[in-house]
Amino acid sequence: MANGFFTDTTLCIGCKACEVACKQWNQLPADGYEFSATSYDNTHELGGTTWRHVAFVEQAAPLDAPAADTKWLMMSDVCKHCTNAGCLEACPTGAIIRNEFEDVFIQPDICNGCGYCVPSCPFGVVDLIAPADYDAPRGFVSDGRTNDDATQHHGGIAGKCTLCYDRQKLGLTPACAKACPTESIQFGNVDELHARAKERVEALQARGVQAYLYGVDDNNTVGDLNAFFLLTDAPAAYNLPERPVLPSTRQRAGYTAAALTAAALALAGWAVLRSGD
Amino acid sequence: MSTAQLPPQPNDSDRGASRGDGLPAHASPTYYEQPLLKKPHWEWSVITYLFLGGIMGGSGMLVMIADERPERDADLARSARYVAFALAAACPLVLISHLGRPERFLNMLRIVKFKSVMSMGVWGLIAYSGPSTLAAAAQLSRDGVLPKWIAALEPRPLMKLLQGLIGAFMAGYTGVLISATAIPLWGKGKRYIPAFSVCSGFAGACALNAAIVALTGSDRTRHKLERLELIASTAELVLLESFRRHAGSTGDPMFAGERGRRLRTYTQIGGIIGPALLGRLPFGGRAKTLLASALTLAGGYILRETLIESGKDSADDPRAASRQPE
Repeated sequence: MANGFFTDTTLCIGCKACEVACKQWNQLPADGYEFSATSYDNTHELGGTTWRHVAFVEQAAPLDAPAADTKWLMMSDVCKHCTNAGCLEACPTGAIIRNEFEDVFIQPDICNGCGYCVPSCPFGVVDLIAPADYDAPRGFVSDGRTNDDATQHHGGIAGKCTLCYDRQKLGLTPACAKACPTESIQFGNVDELHARAKERVEALQARGVQAYLYGVDDNNTVGDLNAFFLLTDAPAAYNLPERPVLPSTRQRAGYTAAALTAAALALAGWAVLRSGD
Repeated sequence: MSTAQLPPQPNDSDRGASRGDGLPAHASPTYYEQPLLKKPHWEWSVITYLFLGGIMGGSGMLVMIADERPERDADLARSARYVAFALAAACPLVLISHLGRPERFLNMLRIVKFKSVMSMGVWGLIAYSGPSTLAAAAQLSRDGVLPKWIAALEPRPLMKLLQGLIGAFMAGYTGVLISATAIPLWGKGKRYIPAFSVCSGFAGACALNAAIVALTGSDRTRHKLERLELIASTAELVLLESFRRHAGSTGDPMFAGERGRRLRTYTQIGGIIGPALLGRLPFGGRAKTLLASALTLAGGYILRETLIESGKDSADDPRAASRQPE
């Protein structure tokens, strides 16, 4: 039974209650007061300590165009909890696991901060948390130990959305979905969410809205996303990849190329070293 | 306020040329030019590890193929064994320094994970240290430093084979490791980067061992190593050029601008063509070999530094990151 998020961007009003609720529940440090000067989005991106991020896509039409041509799209972005997760596959310590809710979870007491998951995420979600940002008392509990006991964090560890693993264990809705005032963020069983989302797409399309689902039946190597989205513009407009690729699919080609090259060099070396001169 | 100061618009999509994948670059809008991917946090320690690991692996390959008869390459086998052992000892230290606290390295040893190239590399490094240590101890014993009976413990053909095979893996896996990420530049080079990593590592091993042989061994072995280095670095040069053509504008962070100039100057010209030309000089002897080796090694380091740093820039390009290479 996979649990996930269905984020319906047509319902998002950009209030950022999800960002705040996430920060508060997970005891994550503030992002600081950085003024982006591009839109109402001053959070910029997901990060090690920013697990929900509300994007504001402001597409102003020319002044003489109808007002309806101006787009003001908001989307609450989050870790996708991929079916085939690049971060999970890359992790050399086994810190990144798929938990009983089929969500991708970083065990903070096992992560050793190697950083390989960071470039391995096709969505740019995971990032390292600096030690200073991690020293705040935290809400995770792993095998009865809190992170304060597991003093692994000096040198940094990887951080991303846990899909409120702790809240789910208690039968609670994740903080962001709980706080969302418009039900733009819906939490639940992924199969049920899929059904609900498809109905929603049909209803919107019947009203002439160009709505589609991102992360459902997309026929790519990352598979279905347990946190998927209803979008009305191109994925790239929301800073989502049009064509995400599971990085580990390149390993076979890489190992083969390396092995062939090494074999050729060893043969050449054998010949040179045994040449009579 | 001039237009240059205006923030980029989400649909400001006219920048950038075709990325060479048949899709027009302007097909994707971007989100205020905000990077789509996160860049790796890898700094000098990882760059140094990629560099040293290549030489370490290449030296293992040299141990495997060396002809150990005294009149042949016994001097090379000796030097390559010592180099392989010294680097097998140094590489874990470099890796550990990257993790901040030494005991965090132990977390790598919780599991063996075939899907994770980094896990494979850690176990490769550990597997490599066994035969390297035994072979170096046996060599020390044959050289009269350690007691004679230690040399008798070494099953030499098996150790040579293991050092060669695991060494080849160690020289190449770092290339697989970085190309199995979401970074567009690295993903685009999934065949090229592992291949030229092996070449660069092997050429570096030839260079370092040629320098040692120049000081301690025969001219004959030194010349053969120079020839071998020329073969490996020529292959590296060809692969780098093919990758540049294959990558198109995805390769710009690596091959264009200041970084591309640096790569051409220090790696392609200084580290490959320079030593090749030096080798053609009819005079110079050992000093020439030492200079050529230094140039090759410097070029190898710059190649690794360029790879890592240009990967960070590639992560910053939201258009390249939107349609990721297969």
